[in-house]
Amino acid sequence: MQRVVITGMGAVTPLGLGATATWSAMREGRVAIGPITSMPRDGLRFGIAAEVQGFDPLAHFEEKKLILLDRVSQFALVAAREAIAQSGIDFAADGLGENTAVVIGTGIGGEQTHDEASRRLYAENNPRTHPLTIVRLMANAPASQICIEHKLTGPSFATSSACASANHALAQAFHMVRSGVADAAVAGGSEACITLGVIRAWEAMRVMADDTCRPFSRQRRGMVLGEGAAVFVLETLERAQRRGAAILAEFAGAGMSADAGDIVFPSEAGAAKAIARALADGGIGIDEVGYVNAHGTGTPANDPTESKAIRRVFGAHADALAVSSTKSMHAHALGAAGAIELVATIGALRDGVVPPTMNFLDPDPECDLDYVANAARERPVRVALSNSFAFGGLNAVLALRRAP
Amino acid sequence: MSSVQDTVFDIIAKESGIDRARITPDATLKDLEIQSLDAVQIIFEIEDHFKITMPDRDPKFDTESVKGLIETVEKLLAEQATQPVP
Repeated sequence: MQRVVITGMGAVTPLGLGATATWSAMREGRVAIGPITSMPRDGLRFGIAAEVQGFDPLAHFEEKKLILLDRVSQFALVAAREAIAQSGIDFAADGLGENTAVVIGTGIGGEQTHDEASRRLYAENNPRTHPLTIVRLMANAPASQICIEHKLTGPSFATSSACASANHALAQAFHMVRSGVADAAVAGGSEACITLGVIRAWEAMRVMADDTCRPFSRQRRGMVLGEGAAVFVLETLERAQRRGAAILAEFAGAGMSADAGDIVFPSEAGAAKAIARALADGGIGIDEVGYVNAHGTGTPANDPTESKAIRRVFGAHADALAVSSTKSMHAHALGAAGAIELVATIGALRDGVVPPTMNFLDPDPECDLDYVANAARERPVRVALSNSFAFGGLNAVLALRRAP
Repeated sequence: MSSVQDTVFDIIAKESGIDRARITPDATLKDLEIQSLDAVQIIFEIEDHFKITMPDRDPKFDTESVKGLIETVEKLLAEQATQPVP
């Protein structure tokens, strides 16, 4: 079994274009939730989201290539370029790229392509569907496009588990590198889900907030949709040290579970099982953990359930944990959420600063942990967890250690 | 029994699969063992049937009674009726 480290990260998020910009915004507690700008708001019930701003596809891709890329793949490719550049890894050397895995999670896939194709077909009665529709909308397009751009030919695929897609992707990549199935991996999540159809579908479930995202706060009114991508380079500790790479964090463990219960209502037992398995997988003692980046959607159901699950696993140590939901700032990017939140988790380990839960008003008696309300906090963290609990009851938790 | 109540009872029985005879105005959704997803579907069907939009908050399982739902529907229908036709 190899020790696995992260040597590169890249991000395209509502908080900034780039992982550094995203992390700086999280430290500052900047909230990127606001009125939707990418479509007319009159067809929407609430019309708020966290959108990626200032992203110019033509600044990153030639027009001819852009024809192949839904926004979800654009985000993933730009984030992957940043991660690979930061890691300084050379996939061409020693045939490394031949056995580098690419695993990218997405909850929905090429939604904008799908939306546009449906509009032409049903609204305009235009029977001519664009011939590249499938290539753009397939859920594995982000992973495939990264493989092609960087000539990576290891085991590669997409994972899809709604809001846990990115954590499942990162868990698969981690386990492949740790076991030696792959020599390195490029992994993360991407989502570009802000279309009229998707927003209306979420609104119809009555889990959306009409004001903003206030995780763990008594006045929370639900979740807010976001979008974006984050991608990471995973390699063995041995390789990273040999090539003198700067190590961002050690990827210590991953735990997964299924609730096998309600299709939407979260389960304390299922969440606790995933957390406990991540700790066991990484050989981590509960008192080593200092920070938990919570799933923290801000829905009435998630936040108390997650708080109880954390308490169930950590017992008395739960009161010593800092727990925060950065969704209060970048909102819920569904299949990219876990990846964007890993930027926060790595930031906490590296800088000794825990990002806040913003928009926090009054505490809820049902949520009784330390949520780092409204301002980042300096606190050295040796081990941190990142939780993702999906609709459908599929859970994935990542455990990271400070760089050795 | 008002026709609104009749229709709401029908919708609750159909969407949640419970025996219509169990439904009373004073029963809460929790009493009727209606799950969250069923409750959301019930509200959707009520909205669709009456062409109204219910306030967008989670139904309160412990406290929201069937009577509360019916009153909300009747209030929204009354508001609609008093509005001038555009």
